[in-house]
Amino acid sequence: MNDIALKELLYKIADDQLILGHRNSEWTGMGPLLEEDIAFSSMAQDKVGQSLAIYTLLHSLGDGDPDTLAFTRGGNQFQNCVLVELPNGEYDFSLVRHFLFDTAEAIRFDLLSNSSYEPLAQLAKKIRGELRYHTLHANTWIRQLGSSTEESIARIQASLNFSLPFAMGIFEVSPHENELIESGVFAGEKELKQRWLAKVEEIIHQTDLRLPDLNAVEPVLGGRVGKHSEHLQPLLEEMSEVFRIDPTAEW
Amino acid sequence: MNSLDPRVNRLPSTRYPVPNEPTAPLDQFGTFEVFVVQPKEEKPFQHEGIVHAPNLEMAYVLAKEAFTRRFVCVSLYVVDTTNVAVSPMTEGDVSIYQQIEDRPGQAGEKLSYEIYHLTKRGKQHVHAGTVQAVNGPDAMVKAKHQFNSGKGICSVWVIRTKDIRFTLPDEKDLWNTLPEKKFRDASAYKGGDKLSMFLQSKQNTSDHSGHSDNADQ
Amino acid sequence: MYGGGNTFEGVKTDSVAQEDPVKLGEFEGRIARGEKIEPSDWMPLLYRKQLIRMIEQHAHSEIIGALPEGTWITRAPGFKRKMALMAKVQDEVGHAQLLYSAAETLGKPREQMIDDLITGKSKYSNVFNYPTFTWGDCCFISWLVDAGAIVNQLANAKGSYGPYCRALERICAEESFHLKYGHHCVIYLATGSSKQREMFQDAINRWWPPMMHFFGPADMISTHTPVLMKWKVKMGTNDDMRNQFLDMYVPKVWELGFTLPDPNLAKNSQTGRWNYTEPDWEEFKRVINGDGPCNKERLEVRRIAEERGRWVRKALKSPQAAYVTPLA
Repeated sequence: MNDIALKELLYKIADDQLILGHRNSEWTGMGPLLEEDIAFSSMAQDKVGQSLAIYTLLHSLGDGDPDTLAFTRGGNQFQNCVLVELPNGEYDFSLVRHFLFDTAEAIRFDLLSNSSYEPLAQLAKKIRGELRYHTLHANTWIRQLGSSTEESIARIQASLNFSLPFAMGIFEVSPHENELIESGVFAGEKELKQRWLAKVEEIIHQTDLRLPDLNAVEPVLGGRVGKHSEHLQPLLEEMSEVFRIDPTAEW
Repeated sequence: MNSLDPRVNRLPSTRYPVPNEPTAPLDQFGTFEVFVVQPKEEKPFQHEGIVHAPNLEMAYVLAKEAFTRRFVCVSLYVVDTTNVAVSPMTEGDVSIYQQIEDRPGQAGEKLSYEIYHLTKRGKQHVHAGTVQAVNGPDAMVKAKHQFNSGKGICSVWVIRTKDIRFTLPDEKDLWNTLPEKKFRDASAYKGGDKLSMFLQSKQNTSDHSGHSDNADQ
Repeated sequence: MYGGGNTFEGVKTDSVAQEDPVKLGEFEGRIARGEKIEPSDWMPLLYRKQLIRMIEQHAHSEIIGALPEGTWITRAPGFKRKMALMAKVQDEVGHAQLLYSAAETLGKPREQMIDDLITGKSKYSNVFNYPTFTWGDCCFISWLVDAGAIVNQLANAKGSYGPYCRALERICAEESFHLKYGHHCVIYLATGSSKQREMFQDAINRWWPPMMHFFGPADMISTHTPVLMKWKVKMGTNDDMRNQFLDMYVPKVWELGFTLPDPNLAKNSQTGRWNYTEPDWEEFKRVINGDGPCNKERLEVRRIAEERGRWVRKALKSPQAAYVTPLA
């Protein structure tokens, strides 16, 4: 099994989790409801923790230690999809992003629980419960806000319309796709996207929302190959601000 | 805003309501009581507190992180506070069950009720068991006969089982990774060794730059 | 993260004389026996009012206290610190939730309390009206401000009101993580590079005066309310709490080789109490009444959070779920 293909897969997953976890942690102390503030923060911690687990795998494959990978790489070395680096906006966007991304993530790890790369399969089985909570949370909120006041429905719909092009970037196909599929490491982005769409439709149908036609959506790609929006670099600079005071120091 | 906090600088500015504008009515949510089992499967559910939420399902989702993000947990459930029947609280060693009069056999469909006891002021209500009864007062009588341990029970709560949002069997893995989240635990922050090494090296240097331990004046 | 039993406002005890003497006697007897008061018990008006104020302000201190450290979450150096700080600040929000719930058992709805915070009607711990300039400042709060809060909380956990005691038990358990984490951070700064040491020393120099204010005005200038001590609402004098804190933590700061910016700070071996330069209580009064470096910002952030969340909360309201007072 080609290390390059495997590492590329690991980087994109870990980078997604780190950047989204980082974004979601910005809500801590400023959420719309105390109990929700707490819940959203837990999920952000889960994401950062999951990224740590995967950077640890990368380290075992010969790459730098997790702090080095997370806090010293430049924006064009990150392989997260553009969706996760976007600023938080209002809670409607953050919730919709949480819904779209975590639905995909749960399915991705479901597929990975059968991975021929044993460490990844084990990790997938281990975090199944965490991802289950994330989707339970997202679905409960989308159902609630998607069928409630005129304003909440309008806001969620607008965020959905806005986010979908970026969500397509989750499934940006890798040059090593066939190898990953054939070696049994991962069933591939196409499979993931198909299942994701079915799940998203299922939830949206339970609300007053409408899922735009994906064929009419212009996907925003490039994140997987280091082409990012103007938002990632400032995010990384902020994230590494203290670390960079002395990268060799122990904090 | 011009703040040291980068998050705060990204916040949209807001217009604080001018006195003439009517203030919006205060949003107020329902209240839900939360019961948790920690740490082991065999231990009874114990009352932990409340969450505010718009409905039972949301209460369950929110309670999970509000009350069970630490230690070990296997299950959790919530119920609307208005669905909890509450007995008066007794004084001293008097057991509340002494004040419950037996009632003649009640006709009607029997439902399941959960019973909770408070054994001492200051503690939490703990699940005592389940009874079959036709209504709340009948459940209290049944509980008197089934769970009265003779020891002081100063308060009883009664909840109809079907009003509770339990943890589903396949939701148990929600808490799978909880024991591994050491970063939330004091035990992950043992600085003792580093501190000892530092104090040792301070002692070894001839130049004492720090303050001495005590400055009697 | 405060729980000092101070409410920064004067206490009017006139209502006590109008209470039913028999009920009052039973109530005080219960407290003297060490029994907890529960929400359904009879209680004097002053007890109820004072507890609401005190618990509410403690809750406000937690939610506001989430901000000076929260600002460093996105900048925490390394995974270990990043995740720890996320969890710690989350706990502050969690503590606010627990404390509001405890105050609610006394009859004041949570939204009313939050509104009183935002309008400036209710106060919160003064220490959070100062800015955290550096990571070192953040570590100061995580260690020493939390340490101060724990001194207060451990004392108040022995108080008379059941729901507050239960909330404090939970809080104290979580605070042990905060304290060890804070100390851990500072040990690393102390044993690190000279830049790191200087960073923390700078932070100490800035934060020591607010820390000396933390436990409230000196006993000699505070008004004493003996009835609140009798009812186990206030559990110790301000100076007592302050001395306990100094006793426990000044040696720990010194052993790490840091200095404290008070040349008079020393333990008097005869009295067993600490000597120190009397803090500026006029400054304390100014800041608590709105004239500190961050007061406006702290409340503005809360207002913005509430306004941004308004549409969310509106969308969550349902005609079925009605607000009721929590049971315990």
